[in-house]
Amino acid sequence: MIKFEQVGKKYPSGQEALSELSFELDAGEMAFIAGHSGAGKSTLLRMVALMDRPTRGQITVNGQNLAKTKARHVPRVRRGVGMVFQDHRLLMDRSVFDNVALPLEIAGCARGEIGRRVRAALDKVGLLAREAAAPVTLSTGEQQRVGIARAIVGKPPVLIADEPTGNLDPMLSAEIMKLFAEFEQVGTTVLVASHDLNLIKRMGKRVLVLDHGKLIDDFRPAAAAASNNAVARSARDDYPPSPASATNGEGQQVGAGQDAAVPPLSPGQGDA
Amino acid sequence: MNRRVATIRVKLEKSAAPAPAPRAPAHKRRRMGAWREHHARSFRASLRRLAGRPGATALTLLVMSLALCLPFLLWLLLDNARALGGHLDDARGIGVFLKPEIDAATARSFADKLRRRTDVAVVAIKTPEEGLAEFRSQSGFADALKVLQSNPLPTVLIVTPKIAAASARATPALVDELAHDKHVDQVQYDALWRQRLDAILAFTARVAGVLAMLLGLAALLVVGNTVRNDIVGRAEEISVMQLLGADRAFVRRPFLYTGLWYGALAGLVALLLIAGVEIALAAPLDQLTSSYGGRFTIHGLSWVQAIALFGTSVMLGWLGAWIATSRQLRLGRPQ
Ligand SMILES: Nc1ncnc2c1ncn2[C@@H]1O[C@H](COP(=O)(O)OP(=O)(O)O)[C@@H](O)[C@H]1O
Ligand SMILES: [Mg+2]
Repeated sequence: MIKFEQVGKKYPSGQEALSELSFELDAGEMAFIAGHSGAGKSTLLRMVALMDRPTRGQITVNGQNLAKTKARHVPRVRRGVGMVFQDHRLLMDRSVFDNVALPLEIAGCARGEIGRRVRAALDKVGLLAREAAAPVTLSTGEQQRVGIARAIVGKPPVLIADEPTGNLDPMLSAEIMKLFAEFEQVGTTVLVASHDLNLIKRMGKRVLVLDHGKLIDDFRPAAAAASNNAVARSARDDYPPSPASATNGEGQQVGAGQDAAVPPLSPGQGDA
Repeated sequence: MNRRVATIRVKLEKSAAPAPAPRAPAHKRRRMGAWREHHARSFRASLRRLAGRPGATALTLLVMSLALCLPFLLWLLLDNARALGGHLDDARGIGVFLKPEIDAATARSFADKLRRRTDVAVVAIKTPEEGLAEFRSQSGFADALKVLQSNPLPTVLIVTPKIAAASARATPALVDELAHDKHVDQVQYDALWRQRLDAILAFTARVAGVLAMLLGLAALLVVGNTVRNDIVGRAEEISVMQLLGADRAFVRRPFLYTGLWYGALAGLVALLLIAGVEIALAAPLDQLTSSYGGRFTIHGLSWVQAIALFGTSVMLGWLGAWIATSRQLRLGRPQ
């Protein structure tokens, strides 16, 4: 679902934010990106969302080679990637409902369907009662949950979040992270950047650790590794050779086929 | 792993989409409906936005409508002046006033001499008696003329030059010669001032054209700048929409409708302004035309012209917004 191959990113300023970064996330897998401030977490996520392009290497998302994505196809790729921001980035002059409805409007959903799906998404984040509220009247945690509802309402195959709990206290943070883990349950690939190591550890998920733009650890907890049928080892390229390549091929095919026949917004995964 | 995802997806699809068979066309139809809905929504939302800041909107509309109605008013003035010019007699003939001491016989021989010239088509002789009779019948001076003891009018030859219509520049040679002839007292050549009037009208028309272009450009810039400010003020909203996968057309749509609204409203205001000017000038114009004996009438903006003005305005508004969004959306990449 998400595949980085020898990715490097050098900003025009000369700052090398990422170098020789390779990892792969299966469909429906959840992983955290950990690392100190300035390690390159945001840069990595920005490239998944095509907000920036790598200077080296290849990135594949939903079976789409991002390097080969023309500017006019960028919106379509982005519709397949739900995004959650640290500062939620809700539009303050619209109601909660209208904020969550925005991705569906963009994707061209009919009004009846929008209403149904927005309510389903708000229900999932526990804010169904607040649909008519203005975002300013919500607490920070609630605002972030609206942001999450907006990210998942279109049922994107991939969900990314950059420091989604950066502004929240520990209890709210744990709640938000649990919410992300729920989307993994329904088959969404989830990638969350955070510098909160304690919180990440408690989640018991795969962790990609960045340090000065390099992947220094790919930690898979025993339980997760077992369910993934993979070796519980931290390494970049030591997946079991044959199953890994089979999975890759299949994953890309599934991704591509899905892209053509079922746009990201057709009834699919999620909503359970 | 993938199989698990796939089965979940299939299960969910079954429960969520009850009729999967006619899906592709239904999907397309739904998309068209949604597209129309977004147009309608943009149409309404942009108007609401204009109403939301009435001061700025009014200013933009006023500047735009003034820029639009000025060239139209000038054009209207020209059109009427042209009509006025057209009503004057087609004065291609040269009026040659002979000296008073010239008698009828001399006048006739002079006329014959002129007729033999290659550049003269027709020469008509108007004797003083004929002149007086014509004068009597035309003006209301009949009573006043009775007072006169003798006929003060000279013999007049009306000389119509050949090919004068085509090459208006050729006649002045003849006119000049006539003016210097020893029999001639005075030459009246109306075509000369007709020519001058035509030149002035053509020049004014050109001025109006250039002015229309400049003012049209000004209107374009006014709308463009207003929309640009709107875009800058909504930069965050645009960024978020782009990150959520909105394409250029989607982001641009509400702004294009804003331009369209500005154009339409400014067009209406301009029409109102022109109507106001027409009403304000109606009384003095009436006096002017009646002094011409009602031989011509002043005409205002026709329906076609009014529609042309409105259409131009709408187009300028839309174009201004299009240019502004093209520039801004290229510069602004989502952050
Ligand atoms: N737009 C940019 N131009 C230049 N350097 C940048 C830019 N964005 C980030 N960087 C640099 O790249 C490195 C990684 O940044 P970032 O990805 O934001 O790290 P993190 O999110 O892990 O804190 C930092 O050293 C940062 O200074
Ligand atoms: Mg960051």
